[in-house]
Amino acid sequence: MSSEFTRTDVPPLTEAIQPGTATDPTIGSTDTATVTVDGHEVTLEEGATVLDAVTAVDTNEDVPALCSYDREDNIGPRSECRTCMVETDDHGLVPSCSFPAEDGLNVKTDATAATEARDVNLDLVLSNHNLRCTTCGKNGRCELQDAAIATDVEEPRYGVLDDRDAYEPIDDSSSFIQIDRNKCILCNRCVEACNDVQVEGVLHMEGSGQDTRIGFQNGAETMADSTCVSCGHCVTVCPTGSLVEKGIEDAATLPIPGFTQKNSIGQSFESTDENKEPMTPMKQDDRSETNGPTSTNTAGESESESELEDWP
Amino acid sequence: MTEHVLEASPVLRVAGRNSRDEVLNVATSAASLPVVAVGSTGLSALEPLVLATQNRQTAFYESCTPQRAADLADTLDNGELDIEDADAVIEHASTPTRLPIPDRSPLGVGTRTVLGRCGWLRPTCPNDYRASGGFETLTADGETVVGAARRVTGRGWGDAMADTSVGDSWKRVIDADGDPAVVVNAHGTPSDRLLLESLPFLPLEGALAAAQIVDASDVIIYLSEADNQAHERVTAAIENLPQTNAAVHAVTGPDEYRAAEPTMALEAIEGSQRLEARLRPPQPDIEGIYGRPTLVHTPRTLAQIVHATSGAAPTRIVTIRGDVQHEATVELPADGSLATAREAVTVDGTFKCACVGGQFGGLTPDLDIAPTPDALGAAGVGTEGVIDVLNEDQCLVAYIGEQSRFAQDENCGRCVPCREGTVQLTDLLREVYDGSFRPDAIEELLRVIESSSICAFGRDATRPVATGLDHFEDEFAVHAGGQCPTGTCTTELQHEVSQ
Repeated sequence: MSSEFTRTDVPPLTEAIQPGTATDPTIGSTDTATVTVDGHEVTLEEGATVLDAVTAVDTNEDVPALCSYDREDNIGPRSECRTCMVETDDHGLVPSCSFPAEDGLNVKTDATAATEARDVNLDLVLSNHNLRCTTCGKNGRCELQDAAIATDVEEPRYGVLDDRDAYEPIDDSSSFIQIDRNKCILCNRCVEACNDVQVEGVLHMEGSGQDTRIGFQNGAETMADSTCVSCGHCVTVCPTGSLVEKGIEDAATLPIPGFTQKNSIGQSFESTDENKEPMTPMKQDDRSETNGPTSTNTAGESESESELEDWP
Repeated sequence: MTEHVLEASPVLRVAGRNSRDEVLNVATSAASLPVVAVGSTGLSALEPLVLATQNRQTAFYESCTPQRAADLADTLDNGELDIEDADAVIEHASTPTRLPIPDRSPLGVGTRTVLGRCGWLRPTCPNDYRASGGFETLTADGETVVGAARRVTGRGWGDAMADTSVGDSWKRVIDADGDPAVVVNAHGTPSDRLLLESLPFLPLEGALAAAQIVDASDVIIYLSEADNQAHERVTAAIENLPQTNAAVHAVTGPDEYRAAEPTMALEAIEGSQRLEARLRPPQPDIEGIYGRPTLVHTPRTLAQIVHATSGAAPTRIVTIRGDVQHEATVELPADGSLATAREAVTVDGTFKCACVGGQFGGLTPDLDIAPTPDALGAAGVGTEGVIDVLNEDQCLVAYIGEQSRFAQDENCGRCVPCREGTVQLTDLLREVYDGSFRPDAIEELLRVIESSSICAFGRDATRPVATGLDHFEDEFAVHAGGQCPTGTCTTELQHEVSQ
């Protein structure tokens, strides 16, 4: 790509981080606004979205807003799952999580088209999800499971991901974090936690269409070869069992002998057990080689190096 | 050679896109009179097209061979115009600023307002363009230009104001905070490529005029990395632009369909390694390239604004291709009909229907539709300015399946309705081959993809299937019964969608 038209004012700490995602504009209202949702009036601060109004009242219909994350300003809205669609008088169907709360907006959660869009989109999420909840460590504390229960999904229209040939191997190579991409809904929270909150630049979105997946910015295939420092922020934000802490990956599994999360998939990248450090070998190399080829990934972090060396 | 080609007489012009150079070289060495390379007319059936001009007469020689061109040059050198062998001869004013139009197909089809100078001027010569009345928009009254922008609707899916008034966007840019920019999105469509190759100063003039109105400091021409000739021409044209306050840049993006989507164009210009759509609102005219208020218009839109400023009525440029002998790009008046475009081509076989509106156009058996957003929308077809002709050998179930599969393979992967919906849509279409045709399930999915996708890629991807069901539902039912009427899906009834 030729780029004689480029920007020069990027902060040095983040210039090497490439999350692979679009630079969205500023989402939210530009002023305080009063919005009506299913007949209830709500007044919201500047910067609010329609979802803020929806969650503030007792709505007629459940709005899963599966991929949205309201506990950290730096994360979302990704607005990818579209299970937050609601109807408005002025704009028709809108994704409530990323639509500004405009003053005077009249919102209906129970309009036929809105309910249909949320239901179909939730089923579309499930269509590409390995729905083996009984072998999943997040069984019972999974946001996708919660959404499916809350909206009474009995049998998803398009089935679920249930094809051993199509499964991606579980990445069990790290001593701290396990990745099962067969459960990933591409909400992007982990990527934002890694890049925008922790400023580590490990995870990114890669590929397109059906090949879209969470990968590593250094091009590694496995977590062990990535530049992960095992901070665990990605795990805490993951809505499903896609990113789980090692040691409790089978915590919520039904206690049936021989029936595990891993053998439900069949293939995995195993840990070599050589590295017990939170930082992967790639990351350790990164820090010891001042001019190493991947050192640009951590540009700007050298000041905190001595502090980090004291980690267990 | 005089300062500009319009004054030259006698002169031999060679118009064309790919096959022009040999004719040009042979003719040049055969004669002492000026032989000049002009851009394509948009009509590949005619090219290389040799135009011999002398004494207020221009003779047309279509599909000219190098030998014939050399003979013509030689004859003209001797002061004679070979009229007997010409495909057409036209008498005109002493220095016509537009290509004279013979009363025959395909040049005589439709109107030629925006395309009028294509095939008549040297594409990158600023004097030719200026002498033809170019750059006048830059000194026109601001109110007049803004009025023109209000009358023109954005052309093409790469325009951030597709099918809506451009003037509204200009006003938002003026009102927004920040340093405005103008993006000329020339990615991917034949008529935009034609304008950049044949008459690059026209869209550039429109872009500079827009930049003056909104006080933009950067104009960025964005095009596919595969369009080498357009890139070369526009780069050369940029060097010869009149001085304005805006810096003009040319930037390329990947040769992929989705890269033309207005926000993915912004991502590509910013150098993103992976292209996906941005959320809206706010639209790019509030927060666009590097967060700056940004106009995103196609070359077609900007060209229309230039002509509207001088009082011309907006037109629509369409490229007709598919099952035809030669692709043709023609221009239609707003009160005309798409059916007119058919007169510019020879259909291979019998016309069955057309996919109107580009990659994700709508299928229609009847082209008698006015080329306006309202009429095209009412007919369920797209406004992208491409008509793909399908003949009687085309199986529509297979054709629609392939459109769906293209959407499944080429989407950016960001939103669920587009990423997962197109997979399920393709599967539902494939089920027809297993005897299960469920129009209700297909239509439910189409409604949701159309209403909840982030960008026009997903919204438009539903159109071939939706219009296919509207007009050709019988063919689906017959396939579900194990028969393919055209014999395309033979014996085992498998088309490529199953992969």
